[in-house]
Amino acid sequence: MSQTNPRSPSFETPRRRLIADRAARWIVSAGGLAIIVSILGILAFILIEVWPLVVGAKVRPSRQIALQGPEAMALISDEHRTHVATLAADGHVRVFRLADEKLILDTDLLGLVGGAELTGALVPPESQAVAGATRDGRVVLAPVSFDVSFDGDRQVVTPSVAAPTVVEVDPERRPLGAFTAQRSEDGSATVAAQLADGRLAVVRRSVQENEMTGESAESLERFEADSPAGLTTLVMDADQRNLYGGTAKGEILWWRLEGGAPGGLTLASAGTSPITALDLLIGGRSLVVGQESGSLSVWLQVRERAGSDQTSLVRVRDFPRHRAAIQEITPSQRGKGFLAIDTGGGLGVYYSTSHRTLWTGMSPVAKASCLFYAPKTDGMFVAGSGRLAAIDIDNPHPEVTWKTLFGKVWFEGYDRPEHVWQSSSGTDDFEQKLSLTPLLVGTLKGTFYSLLLAIPFGVLGAMYTSHFMHPSYKRVLKPLVEIMASLPSVVLGFLAGLWLAPRIETAMPGLILMIVVLPALVLLSGFAWNSLPRGFRNRFHTGTEALIFVVVLAFGMWLCFKLSGPFEATAFGGSFQTWLRETTGLGYDQRNAVVVGLAMGFAVIPIIFAIAEDAFTNVPPNLVAGSLALGADRWQTVTRVVLPTASPGIFSAIMIGFGRAVGETMIVLMATGNTPIMDWNPFNGFRTLSANIAVEIPEAPHGGTLYRTLFLAALLLYLITFAINTVAELVRQRLRERYSQL
Amino acid sequence: MPEKEPMNPPLTQSSVAETAGRLSARPSVRESDRTAGLFGGHQQRSAILGQSFTWLCGGALALNILFVLGILFLLAYHGLSYFWQKDLVELTLKDGSKVLGEVWEVEKTAATPEQPAQDRLRMKTGNRDVTGVDFAWIATADVASRNKPSDAVLLERLEWGNFHGFLEELHDGDKVLAKGSDEVWKAFPAMHERKRAQREEAEALEKGAIGDVNYEIERLRLDRRKLDLEAHSPVEKTSRIEEIDRSIAEHEADYQKLAERLFQLREELDKGTLTVRTADGQTKDMPIANVVRAVRTDDLGVPGKLKLYASRAWEFVSADPRESNTEGGIFPAIFGTVMMVFLMSFAVAPLGVLAALYLREYAKQGPLVRMVRIAVNNLAGVPSIVFGVFGLGFFVYLIGGSLDQLFYAESLPTPTFGTGGILWASLTLALLTVPVVIVAAEEGLAAVPRIVREGSLALGATKFETIRRVVIPAAAPGILTGMILAMARAAGEVAPLMIVGMVKLAPALPVDGRSPFVHFERKFMHLGFHIFDVGFQSPNIEATTPLVFATAFLLIVVVTMMNLVAISLRNHLRRKYAGSAV
Repeated sequence: MSQTNPRSPSFETPRRRLIADRAARWIVSAGGLAIIVSILGILAFILIEVWPLVVGAKVRPSRQIALQGPEAMALISDEHRTHVATLAADGHVRVFRLADEKLILDTDLLGLVGGAELTGALVPPESQAVAGATRDGRVVLAPVSFDVSFDGDRQVVTPSVAAPTVVEVDPERRPLGAFTAQRSEDGSATVAAQLADGRLAVVRRSVQENEMTGESAESLERFEADSPAGLTTLVMDADQRNLYGGTAKGEILWWRLEGGAPGGLTLASAGTSPITALDLLIGGRSLVVGQESGSLSVWLQVRERAGSDQTSLVRVRDFPRHRAAIQEITPSQRGKGFLAIDTGGGLGVYYSTSHRTLWTGMSPVAKASCLFYAPKTDGMFVAGSGRLAAIDIDNPHPEVTWKTLFGKVWFEGYDRPEHVWQSSSGTDDFEQKLSLTPLLVGTLKGTFYSLLLAIPFGVLGAMYTSHFMHPSYKRVLKPLVEIMASLPSVVLGFLAGLWLAPRIETAMPGLILMIVVLPALVLLSGFAWNSLPRGFRNRFHTGTEALIFVVVLAFGMWLCFKLSGPFEATAFGGSFQTWLRETTGLGYDQRNAVVVGLAMGFAVIPIIFAIAEDAFTNVPPNLVAGSLALGADRWQTVTRVVLPTASPGIFSAIMIGFGRAVGETMIVLMATGNTPIMDWNPFNGFRTLSANIAVEIPEAPHGGTLYRTLFLAALLLYLITFAINTVAELVRQRLRERYSQL
Repeated sequence: MPEKEPMNPPLTQSSVAETAGRLSARPSVRESDRTAGLFGGHQQRSAILGQSFTWLCGGALALNILFVLGILFLLAYHGLSYFWQKDLVELTLKDGSKVLGEVWEVEKTAATPEQPAQDRLRMKTGNRDVTGVDFAWIATADVASRNKPSDAVLLERLEWGNFHGFLEELHDGDKVLAKGSDEVWKAFPAMHERKRAQREEAEALEKGAIGDVNYEIERLRLDRRKLDLEAHSPVEKTSRIEEIDRSIAEHEADYQKLAERLFQLREELDKGTLTVRTADGQTKDMPIANVVRAVRTDDLGVPGKLKLYASRAWEFVSADPRESNTEGGIFPAIFGTVMMVFLMSFAVAPLGVLAALYLREYAKQGPLVRMVRIAVNNLAGVPSIVFGVFGLGFFVYLIGGSLDQLFYAESLPTPTFGTGGILWASLTLALLTVPVVIVAAEEGLAAVPRIVREGSLALGATKFETIRRVVIPAAAPGILTGMILAMARAAGEVAPLMIVGMVKLAPALPVDGRSPFVHFERKFMHLGFHIFDVGFQSPNIEATTPLVFATAFLLIVVVTMMNLVAISLRNHLRRKYAGSAV
């Protein structure tokens, strides 16, 4: 753009300056573009953080080793998947080191106690132990531990097998049918099995430690109960309180073990196909049932009616059917995931809460005999045909799907599918409940109540300012509105939560009174003003009425607060909250949607006001003048000419106000109780997406499911506000074009 | 008034509105509906209806004004009255017990079927260490008499809040220096002055010399770990480790000496005690060093109260907080806010201006730039918490985490930059506010008249020279407006900061006398978060609410002043170019 004259070299711009100019152009363009791209990169970054939530599991066989000895019947591994212990029919626990495929520990459980070979083996749910049933009616339980120590920086895992607990189940020494066992930390154990005569035997071995001497005493209790014939499988929860069994007729049996005695049998039918595998997910409240038909389902204990103690087993979800009979189900020790394998070698990775089939495929070893889900759920082991396959699973976020985030989910301990947000709890076996729906509803609720206040006050106030007020007032009003807009939301939240909420709690009837009293007072004083002599009124600018109304309204509010008590006594029988509960059944929280509506409405009013005022003022003056010239009065002109013309601007003002209310954090954080409940009661609290992020993200482990879910919430907020603002901006631009054409 | 204006003003917006205003002011129009009107049939009724609706609109506006003024007044009233000393009143109740305190409010209880409404007083009774509470509700009906004892004294203390009561004895060790209320009151100031000096000395020693030694030992320890982690020849390693160990030992010896000195000072401090009596006759000994201020409210008079007011207000803005933020000053929060806002400005000013220059001066104007402009504009409307989430993921975990692994491996797993800190907070806020600056700077650039640019270009200046010497200076007020608005927004923003770097109580300011002097990784205190934290998470909300009001008032004064400056700058700018824009 430099002006040079080629004919007279003395006027030529020096090279140095041209270079500087070009460099500046380059730097500004590059820098400017980079900044704009990086600002927009926020969206990309948040998307990248959310992405792993929607990716499925990656499953990859990593290695296979040969197992020595007879076929393994049960499998267990350490946390880091360096060692695997197997229990084989000869009663030996063999520990193999995967790195060099070496057998490093071989303990003969039966040799220690003397006995015959095993007929069955299993790993009790939530335990670090293997259990086996012997041919002579006994059950052996042996804890297997993998101790981790450090040799410098190197991690050393030392496997060990503790002395087994042996429980004699059948005094007549007959082989046992289906059996299960469970062991607690102190050495107490409960064993249940079907005897050869078809009866169910439960043996509880309890260990009491004498506090004085430190000696421990053992005691054995034995119970027998009738049982349907043909029990195919049994499983007991970690508390040794509930025993479940499956029959060849497709029935599921549930005994409560009261002090060890099997009582309170509940029956449920899973169809006619025999139950072939049964296991409990961590926490012991979800029962996974596998059948000969290949069907795989999850059952929960559900109360029959709200408030009743009667519980029954309810089939809450079905997973895709396997091609062959389910042979074994193995629960995860983290979360509600499990593995299942069928007799045809079909293998599947599932997650109960999210109803997800994460992966299905074929077992890498033929004739699989047993299966184990690694403690960190990052791998599994399958043994069969004398070989062991280690399989890697990369599946960090199995508990989330669109359905769990937005739909109803039947959680453990609930009577029906519900939308629940409950991200953490004190216990390990807690089921994370990450439904964003209650938060979305909370967000909309807060937005709704605040817009209820902000739209009329913002739009009507703007209308009055732009067309009924003298411009000299406007010069004062506009900065006032801007100051209103700039008030930090933390201050508004503080006032709402600590000043307003307790006052409104006592003066709610007064607030209701205001809805009637304030407009009435305004009208009264308006007519009073009109009845003043014209000469006197003409001494003031138009719009002075509004300033008088300020005083009138202040008086009105004071009056309503004063009348609140008497009004409450006459209209609500003395107590508004009691009246509310008795007539409508609604509860009352001190920090509720009304308080938020007032505070957030106050924050949104200036935004709506400013944009609406702009739209009203910029209506082409010739339209207004034309209307007035044709004899319409001021009000008619405003409602029939100005309002329709400016309506897109009003729409855009409301949209932008909506966007602000959706994302507001501090006010809702401070002025509501932040309980994630779903209802529209204006006297209850709620939790919004934004407040939820502020509350939870400091505690969310980096990279975890909760962390990414909160990023998803942020993404939702981003997209909602961005979309709304874009629409509003486009509407405004079109309006501006229209104004310029009129 | 309207009549004075020229009859034919140019048709600008304001003049039209003014004309309109004049028209409507003229009652002939407003009440002319009795004559024919194009709109509506029942003129009389519609006129009244229109008039009513107009008033309701006016009422809506009035309510908005009332809201703003009400909030400002509320904050000012409560915030400013926090420092004002109320008189201590002694109430003798009908059951003979006595209460000494400040009357804070009189309230009517709600009427219940059993009991009619009655007045009750909210008294700040202090003496939390004796009674366990700061406030008491007393029914007016129970009060037998009230008086203002002239020797009642209010002691502001470092611990346990205020004490209300009477002075009994003054001790120095086992020696009784004075006895009786007036005697003690006379002897107290000298003793107090001495003890306070001692306390300050002890504190200076603790924070200064001992803090320095500790800091140095910690640094050496980290150096040692760093050596361990790095690959060095064993010989070199051993020798250097020995050197460091020697140094640590020296410092520890220093520390011992200093600690001994501190112990002596403390012992000396504890010797001076004051025996005081509460209104209901319980006596208590307390160390004089813990007394911040002793006041006999009855002696003060208005000038004394004003002096006390000024001294308390000064303490509020200049002192450190006490009693987990519920008393004392808020200096660290002010400092943290100011420093963060400045750091943010350093980041946001060049970025915003560069982006605006590109968009307005260099980019080819077309649909793409228009879209970018809308996107940048809308980014200002994206909720601040989203930026906080981004800041946590990107700055803290990604960049901070990588920095820690590269440069601060010796202190891991304790994160240095991999946790919230003032730098990350400032950068997050810079991202949050950069759209504001871009939009304002663009507006400023666009307002520079074309003639001015073309004049410069015609005189042979290159584009860059024109921008640098002509356009930017002319647009400076616009850019400045944007900057001030951004700073005001940053000063009041809390939600994203809760995630990326604020703490309830920062042990050290982000700037101190130890190298490298400015500690970008440190957490900091912030006025807005202070309001949230003290107001909602302190155990004794009732007693701290006045302090929160004072903090909130300070915050809105700062934010409002900044906004007013920005508004007036922008108005000035608009007026300046209003005539010349062609």
